[in-house]
Amino acid sequence: MTNSSISIDELIRRASVAQSVVHQLTGWSNVAELALDLAGSEAVAVTPSLSASCPQLTSALGDRMCSPDPKNPFESIADAAVGVVEGALAVAETGSILLAQDDPCDRAVSMLSRIEIQVVNRDRIVSSLDEVATWIEANEGSLSLATLVTGPSRTADIERSLTIGVQGPSDLHMVILG
Amino acid sequence: MSIPGPFADRYRAALDNETLSQNLLEFQRSWRETRDKQITDLEEIVQTDADQLRHELAVMKDHVIEELSEHVKQFRVAAEATGAIVFEAGTAAEANDYIARLCTERGAETVVKGKSMVTEELFLNEYLESFDIKVLETDLGEWLLQLDNDRPSHVVMPAIHRRRQEVARILEHELGVPFDDDDIPAMVKSARTALREDFLSAGVGITGANALIASTGTTLLVTNEGNGELSASLPEIHVVVAGIEKIVPTTADAMKQVRLLARSATGQPISTYTSFFTGPVPGHEMHIVLVDNGRLAMAEQDWSSSALRCVKCGACANVCPAYQVVGGHAFGHVYTGPIGLVNTAFHHEIEAAAGPQSLCLSCGACETVCPVEIPLPEQILGVRRLVAQEVGIPRWRRLTMRLYTSRRLVALGTRLAAVATLPFRSKSFTKIPFISRRFASWRSIPAFPLTPARSRSTLRSSGDAIAHTKATGRRVTLFMQCVSDRLAPEVVLASVDLLRAAGCEVDIPSDQHCCGLPAIDSGDDENGRRMARQTLEVLAGTDDVVTPSPSCALAMFHDYERLFADEPVWQQRARELRDRVHDLTGYLTGPARLPDGTLARGDTRPVAIDHFCQSSNVLGRESILDDLIRSLTGADVVPLAEAEVCCGFGGSTSLAATELSAGVLKRKLDNVDASGAQVLLTDNPGCLLHLRGGADAASINVDVLHFAEYLAARLPGR
Repeated sequence: MTNSSISIDELIRRASVAQSVVHQLTGWSNVAELALDLAGSEAVAVTPSLSASCPQLTSALGDRMCSPDPKNPFESIADAAVGVVEGALAVAETGSILLAQDDPCDRAVSMLSRIEIQVVNRDRIVSSLDEVATWIEANEGSLSLATLVTGPSRTADIERSLTIGVQGPSDLHMVILG
Repeated sequence: MSIPGPFADRYRAALDNETLSQNLLEFQRSWRETRDKQITDLEEIVQTDADQLRHELAVMKDHVIEELSEHVKQFRVAAEATGAIVFEAGTAAEANDYIARLCTERGAETVVKGKSMVTEELFLNEYLESFDIKVLETDLGEWLLQLDNDRPSHVVMPAIHRRRQEVARILEHELGVPFDDDDIPAMVKSARTALREDFLSAGVGITGANALIASTGTTLLVTNEGNGELSASLPEIHVVVAGIEKIVPTTADAMKQVRLLARSATGQPISTYTSFFTGPVPGHEMHIVLVDNGRLAMAEQDWSSSALRCVKCGACANVCPAYQVVGGHAFGHVYTGPIGLVNTAFHHEIEAAAGPQSLCLSCGACETVCPVEIPLPEQILGVRRLVAQEVGIPRWRRLTMRLYTSRRLVALGTRLAAVATLPFRSKSFTKIPFISRRFASWRSIPAFPLTPARSRSTLRSSGDAIAHTKATGRRVTLFMQCVSDRLAPEVVLASVDLLRAAGCEVDIPSDQHCCGLPAIDSGDDENGRRMARQTLEVLAGTDDVVTPSPSCALAMFHDYERLFADEPVWQQRARELRDRVHDLTGYLTGPARLPDGTLARGDTRPVAIDHFCQSSNVLGRESILDDLIRSLTGADVVPLAEAEVCCGFGGSTSLAATELSAGVLKRKLDNVDASGAQVLLTDNPGCLLHLRGGADAASINVDVLHFAEYLAARLPGR
C-alpha cells in the first residue's frame, strides 16, 4: 500500500474532478453523523458486511438504520435515501473506490441508494490501477464482483449534456477514515 | 430496432437531417479537445508516451488474436471454474437460440439489457421479442431509441443523432406526462423511475463485456450510468454476450485497456463503473455466450485480423470528417464509423458493407487516434477490393477507369473539354449555366487550359539557380501528376522553377501519366496496376523523383508494393522507386531547402496553410510547410483551426458522394473564413482545385494557391 500524502492529495483531487464529495473523518461515529445528516428524516441503508463488522456505525445510527432483507434484498431497500458501503481500496490515479462485493445484499446498497457513502481506511489508498489489478488477482477465487466506482452515476446521452444521477446513485460521498 | 435499410435511403435521410451534422461537428470538436487533454494526462501519470501505450495494447491484443481458439479455451476453462456456464456460438443464430431457450426455460418474461454492440450485431432483441419476451434496453440512449424504433448511430453515444425536443416527445408518448424541451435532467430522471420496476422484476439481465480475462474467467464491464451493473446484479440470471476477440490474457492487461478505453471513448480518465464479474453470486446463475460470427475467419486473414483488436471506443468515428456530415446510420451498418466499414463485411453480408465504402475520404485520421493502432485506411481499401471482387464495381466506373489508363485518350478528352468550354471561361473557372447544380453549385469547375503543362514552352527554358543547396547538381525527374498537368499547369511550372532555383537539373518525361491512385482507391486494382506499371516504366532508371502531389507520392510509398504482391519483378521495381520518391514539400524542406531570405518579401496578406490530411495523418507531418513559408517569405502565417482535417476532396469520393464532399468542404472553408486569411495554401493539387472551386462558389474572398505557386512568384526576377 502506498500511503504518502501525495497519494491522498491526488486521490482527493481526482475524486473531486469526478464529482465525488470527499470527507476526511476520524471515526465511524462521524460517518454515522454524515449519513444521518444527508438522510434527513429518511433511513440509512448499511451493507450487511459492514453492519456485521462495525458496531460503532450501527449503534450510532440506531433505529434509523435499515438493512436489506436477504430474501428480497433489492426490493427491500430500493431507493433508500442513503447507503453506506465500505471500499476495499481507494485509487489515487483515478479518484476511484474499489468495491469488492460477494453478497447481493451489499450490491443492493451500493447500486440502489440515491446517495452513496463509500468509506475507505486511509491505509487502503493505492496510487495506481496497476496495484488494483494486483489486488484483484491476489483475491481471485473469493471475489465475484469488484467494481471501481469513480464519481456518481452519469449520462450524456441527450445532446451530450452531462447529467448526474441516472441508474446508480446521484450523489457520491467518499470518506477517508482515520 | 430494425435491420438497417438500403444505403442510398440512409444516406439521403442523413442529408435531410439538418441538425445531425451540427450536433456531430460540436461533438467532434469537444471530443478532440478533451480526449487529447486526457491522453496527455495519462502520459504524465504513467510516464510513458501515448503511442507506446497504444502499441503495447495492440501487441497484447494481437497475441490473443494469433491464437484465438486457444485463448477461447483458456477463458472457458477459467470461467467454468468460477461456476459460470459458457456457451460458444459459431453464428448469430446459435447465440440467439441459446439465449431465447434459456429465457423461456426459466420463465423469464422480462429481460433487462445493458448496452451491448454485439447483441445489436446479432439482432437479439428482435429474436427474443418473437418469443413474446419483453426486452428492455436500459442505457438511456438505447432505451430512447428502442422506444422510438430507432437504431444507435454511434458505438458509444447511441442517440447522438437525436435532438432533445425529439427526446421530450418520445418520453411524453411513453410516459404520458409532459416534458419541457430544455429540462434534460427531468428527462434523465424519468428513465430512472421508469426502469427501476423493470430492473427489480426482470428474470434475466443481459450485458456485453468490454474484456474477457482469460486467466481468471472474469468479464469486465464499463458503464457510466450504472445500468450495466444493475442488469448484471439484480436479475437472478446474468447473461454476458461477448465477441471472442474481447479476450485479454490477464487482469493487468485489462487495466491497460481500461486506461485507454474511456479516454478514447468519452474523454474521461475512467468511466464511472468499471466492474469485474467473476462467476455468479450465491443463488444466481451466470451464462457467458462467446460469439464467433465471422471473427475466426477475420483472424485468419492477415489484412483483416488486426481489426479484431477493436475495443469499441468509437474514437475513429469521432475524428472522421465524413461521419461528421452524415452520422452513423449512413456511415456504417450496425457497427458505425470507420471500423464499421471494415467489420461489417465479416459479421454481415458483404452487400451491407458495400454501400458506405464510397463515404471514406481516405484521409487517415481514424488510424491516428485508434487506441489499438488498427490500420483502418488500409483495411477499408481491403474491403473495397473485396466488394469489387464479390459485388463488382459499377460498370460505368470500371469503364471510366479503363479509359483513364490511356494517356492519349485523357489528352484528347481534356483538349476537347478545353475547346468546348472555352465560351464559358470566367477567370480560372468554367461557368456553364445549365450544368447540374449537384456538381457545380458548391464547387466551381476549374477552367480547362488549352495547353497542358507538358506542352508549355517555358517548361523547357532553363530557370536559374539562385542559391546552393544540398540538391544542387542533382538530377530530378518531375512526376507532374495528371491533375496538375492538365488542370493546374501553373503548379507544374512553379515546381520546376523552384527545383531549378535550388540548383537541380529537372527532367520531365513526356510519356508520364497517372500514378493509378483513383483506381486503387476504388478497389479497382486491375486498372490501378495498369497505371502503376506505366509509371514504373516511365520512372525507371531515374535518380530523385519529385512530385508536387503528395497523394501520388503516398500511393507510390504505400500501395505499389501491395499491388504487385504476386509479381516479384514489378514489386522489386516498386520498392526501388519508393526509395527515390519525394513529394515537393518534403524535397523543398529537405535537400532542396533554399536559404532563408532568398525569396522576395512584400506580400503582407495573411496566409493560412491547409495541412494535407494524408501528410499529417500518414506521414505525421505537423507544420513543416508553415515553417518553410514563414522563413522563406516572412509571410504572416495565421493559425488555421482544424488545419489537418480533410478538405473533402477525397479523390473519386467528391464525384460519387458529392453532398458529403460538399459538407466536409464547408467545415474547412468556415475555418478558413474564421482565420482571417486572404491567401490559402495547400500542397496537394486535388485539394487545391477543390478548395479553390469551393471558395469561389461560397464567395469567400481568399486566394487559393499551391504553395509552389506562392513561393515561385517570389523568385528573383518574377
